[in-house]
Amino acid sequence: MQSSQLFLLQTRAVAQRLLLEQWRQKRGLIFWAVFPSTMMLLFGLVYAHNASMRAGLDAAAAGILVGAALFFSCLGGTVAVIAAERERGTLHRLLTTPLHPAAYFLGVVIAQLLLALMQVVMLYSIALLIGAQYHGSVFLGGVILLLSVFSYVGMGFFLGARFARRSEEVVVALSAIGVPLLVLGGTFFPLEIMPQGMQNLAQINPMLHMNQAFKGVAAYGMGLHELRFELAFLVAFCGLSLALGVQSYRHLLDGNKSQ
Amino acid sequence: MTAVLEIQDIHKWFGSHHVLDGFSLRVEQGEVVGLLGPNGCGKSTVLKIVCKLLSLDAGEVLLMGQPLSELSYRARGLVGLCTQHSSLYPDLLPAENLHFFARLYGLSDQDRQHRVEELMNRFELENFANTRVGQLSGGWQQRLHLAVSLIHRPKLLVLDEPTSAVDLEARMDLWRLIEGLRDSGTTILLTSHHLAEAERLCSRVALMRSGKVLAAGSITELLARVPGQAVAKVQSADHEAILQRALDLGWQVRQHADQIRLLLPFTFNLREIVDALDGTQVSAVSVHPVTLEDAYLELVGGSP
Repeated sequence: MQSSQLFLLQTRAVAQRLLLEQWRQKRGLIFWAVFPSTMMLLFGLVYAHNASMRAGLDAAAAGILVGAALFFSCLGGTVAVIAAERERGTLHRLLTTPLHPAAYFLGVVIAQLLLALMQVVMLYSIALLIGAQYHGSVFLGGVILLLSVFSYVGMGFFLGARFARRSEEVVVALSAIGVPLLVLGGTFFPLEIMPQGMQNLAQINPMLHMNQAFKGVAAYGMGLHELRFELAFLVAFCGLSLALGVQSYRHLLDGNKSQ
Repeated sequence: MTAVLEIQDIHKWFGSHHVLDGFSLRVEQGEVVGLLGPNGCGKSTVLKIVCKLLSLDAGEVLLMGQPLSELSYRARGLVGLCTQHSSLYPDLLPAENLHFFARLYGLSDQDRQHRVEELMNRFELENFANTRVGQLSGGWQQRLHLAVSLIHRPKLLVLDEPTSAVDLEARMDLWRLIEGLRDSGTTILLTSHHLAEAERLCSRVALMRSGKVLAAGSITELLARVPGQAVAKVQSADHEAILQRALDLGWQVRQHADQIRLLLPFTFNLREIVDALDGTQVSAVSVHPVTLEDAYLELVGGSP
């Protein structure tokens, strides 16, 4: 078998296995679906109750998808995958196979992309049902979501490989790091209502730029030109987080080899 | 003929600790070679180097005649590793675990299907075909782990204390399966704490201490290096009297902890031993033919 064929076969095997495991973990799957759906419904009810805030519903849908659903699904999911591989000793076992590290990395990315796609469909179905609208380019929105997923998976590899040694630590770490980032990223409240100091701090939060880019397209119909700064930031952050993720994953493999 | 594995004078340091100190070993096609030695003697380090999980500092390892250092990551397909802890995916079924690892090794769809069925059958896993791996007992998980190690038909199967984490019944089952593999010509390198395991499974044994091989050979060869036909284990409050009597009889004596071992030039029965030690304060005595444990104590000292 040629190297490229083997690489593809391995990538597919990793992605398939992760999706199958996710499917088998029914309780996890329920929380995976319930969390963003409940958030969407709650925000929908709040906006529907206040006619003056009706315009905010479209932005809320975009914010919940990028800022909450994909964050916990892709970043949290990746950290959990790495922690579980470590804990079960399967990471060590994988090192004894000819699995190419990049095939593993790509397999995780593909699995997370498919899960993200399902979340997009699920969440936007609910959002459209309760009256939200998508205004801009679907293609541009897709590119932003793709960059966001890559960024989250890269960060997931970084955090998982460097910090999360046990599955239990994943929830704590995600809450400790994630929730402040979500708040500062404008996921729950508009940036304008925050004090100036918080607004300044928020500018260095990559989630703010993911949120603003996707909200710009989905809620306000903005185009490439208007979002160039956000997109440039997102591309740079995506590159950085993937590089960090790959580097951390290599570090993890080397560490496991010498154990 | 090219050896499956040839380890030539390898050295490994962990900081200032010299873990492997000129370790050498040759494993021929179809052999089951056991590495025995006390904790920390370097057994697992050797296996990790062979599995490319650890680099060596000096010396050379040849796998199927090729230097390990020159083989790419794809050469990992030459070796199958089974450790004491079964590292499998608990939410997948047994066959799904096998299929997953088969894909990592690049088995074609048809070959993979055939191989998974063959191993499910050989390791009697069909009855648990619909049970998630996490719900299997430790023994059955280890069985599956062994099957996973063989999925890609490795040239060398490496077993790192494969039965030390399972109960006695499961151990006997695993021994039977490993014997089956041995009889079908699988080349195996195995470490174990159980001398009985090595005696039963191995065609050749290397006794290790402090990172080097102290003695190696077939079980018969190692047993022949014990200067006696049988061993009497004696417990007594008066060691001096026993030692003196043994010397008078021309028997060699070994002392390990509180136990005195008399190396007998012939196979005496228990009555004859008791008669020979008459007049000394013996509280318990037993006699048995020379075993690998005696050879180990003679050649290495201490417990494995």
